[in-house]
Amino acid sequence: VSISQPTKPRRRSLRHWRANTLGILFSLVWVFPVYWMINTAFKPRSEVMTSTPTFFPSQPTLHNFIVAITQTNFLLNLRNSVIVVFITVAVSILLGLFAAAALTRFRFTGRRPIMVILLLVQMIPITSLLIPMFLIFNQVGLLGTYLGLILAYVATVLPFSIWVMRGFYVGVPLSIDEAARIDGANTWQVLTKILFPLVAPGVIATGIFAFITAWNDYILAYIFMKKETMYTLTVWLASFHTPKTGTDFGGLMAGSVLFSLPVVVFFLLIQRRLVTGISAGSVKG
Amino acid sequence: MVTEQAPTTAAPPSGAGPRRKPRRNLAPWLLLTPAGVAVLLVTVIPIGFLLFASFTDYDQRSLFTGEFSMVGLAQYVEIFTSGEFWKSVLRTIWFTAAMVLGTIVIGTGVAQLMTRVSAGVRYVVTVILILAWAMPNVASSMVWNWLFQPGYGVVNWLLTQLQVFGDMTNTAWANNTALAYIAIWMLVVWQAVPFVALTLYAALTQIPKDPIEAAWVDGATGWQVWWKVIMPFLRPTFLLVTIMSIIWDANVFNQIWLVSAGGPGNSTSTLGVYAFKKAFVGFEVGTGSAIAVITLLLLVAVTSVYIRNLLRSGEDL
Repeated sequence: VSISQPTKPRRRSLRHWRANTLGILFSLVWVFPVYWMINTAFKPRSEVMTSTPTFFPSQPTLHNFIVAITQTNFLLNLRNSVIVVFITVAVSILLGLFAAAALTRFRFTGRRPIMVILLLVQMIPITSLLIPMFLIFNQVGLLGTYLGLILAYVATVLPFSIWVMRGFYVGVPLSIDEAARIDGANTWQVLTKILFPLVAPGVIATGIFAFITAWNDYILAYIFMKKETMYTLTVWLASFHTPKTGTDFGGLMAGSVLFSLPVVVFFLLIQRRLVTGISAGSVKG
Repeated sequence: MVTEQAPTTAAPPSGAGPRRKPRRNLAPWLLLTPAGVAVLLVTVIPIGFLLFASFTDYDQRSLFTGEFSMVGLAQYVEIFTSGEFWKSVLRTIWFTAAMVLGTIVIGTGVAQLMTRVSAGVRYVVTVILILAWAMPNVASSMVWNWLFQPGYGVVNWLLTQLQVFGDMTNTAWANNTALAYIAIWMLVVWQAVPFVALTLYAALTQIPKDPIEAAWVDGATGWQVWWKVIMPFLRPTFLLVTIMSIIWDANVFNQIWLVSAGGPGNSTSTLGVYAFKKAFVGFEVGTGSAIAVITLLLLVAVTSVYIRNLLRSGEDL
């Protein structure tokens, strides 16, 4: 839908042309950091550390990727990230699936306050959770363990997962439950046989949102995981260096590409749900 | 947002028979229990503990010995009388305002632009917006450090080529308060614009065409059409993206920490960074906790406006 002033065809094509030029200009500026990351990642070191930057690698190389993968803790830290993130996602989906069902399919006293608490809990700044969790984990010996980090991630992901799941339940007409009940299904059967399959797309969307949030966390892992072998990939990336060369920017950019890739793929997969999903009230940065 | 329909257990339709007597249903509570226990364990108890810690003198020594003493409101008194705290409050407010303003203005412009360009260009713009949005902010912070690297950074090189600011080759952005703010502002806005632009664009495509065309026919100027006809349609969306931007931008931590570490000195330490530095750099955990409590209260205050709005807009929680 064009909301610009209706004009004669020739003037319209001129406006179109001006808008397109502006659009392409904007795209060039906005894509530049991503382009520069990829450009640097494929350059040999001599071409990275130069005072006159080159806009394409003259001798493209995979060297930076190989160094990043083989000469650092990349694989070990990737394993940590995968373990912690996947358990977090599984727990959040499972608990979210049940809780959101309760909040949308039943009307009971206390439902509204629970929804408000859910909204409020989502707004808690990360530092406010980080400090007390650090103190508690320090006392009970959970610092530096997968379990501690998973608990912290569940705290940051679960309320928001419930909120996203809720949106999917709301989209399923209640007449469907009603019909199943009339056919003699009990509550458990309605849930497992009818509702869970119907909100399956929600499970995927929630899972991806939860994955992205947990995968992108830096500060919790940075404070809780003190040993380099226990780092997650964000901490690995932020402390990227090879012992010999100091900060190796080619390697750092290669690492950034490797680390960003799964998230970018997921974003492109769910792009159509992104705007609606977040507008629906899920408020996580 | 889909309107919620009347749930099954509420107000049974008349004539449904005696079977439909209002029953006390345990099912929702059973379903809520696992998530409830989890939230209690990982959120409510920690927040309670944070509150408790803010009344103690917990510090580095306590981490090893477990010893600390209650100091009542002493931490709060110390914070409220310290200039550094108020400075970081002010920093948080104006820097958040600057980021939100930049995001909304650029985002609105891009959304407008997207309604005018051809389908091909619109596709390119959308993909690029999603790329910028999708980048994990730890990765984008690393890219920023490289773009603005003294000696080798491409931004320094480009600015030097412009020959407007002199030779900026060796400018260390993170070591200069104003430049550090500019770099972080660009980083945050770069990643925040996509959400605002795509949401506003989606809203713009929903606006009925007739009133706009009628306004043009009646001889309205571009500005009049924008403010009098388009704006009323966009207002709810604007409110949403503004409040969400405020919440997100006030909570920006990684980008500040990884680009300037809150420095030079404390000059780019917003409240979150300040609390973090107190608790984990100086290990004054009690003081850090008190700052975190205050930050939490401030954010809840802002958020309650959003929740009130949500409730008032007829959203059936």
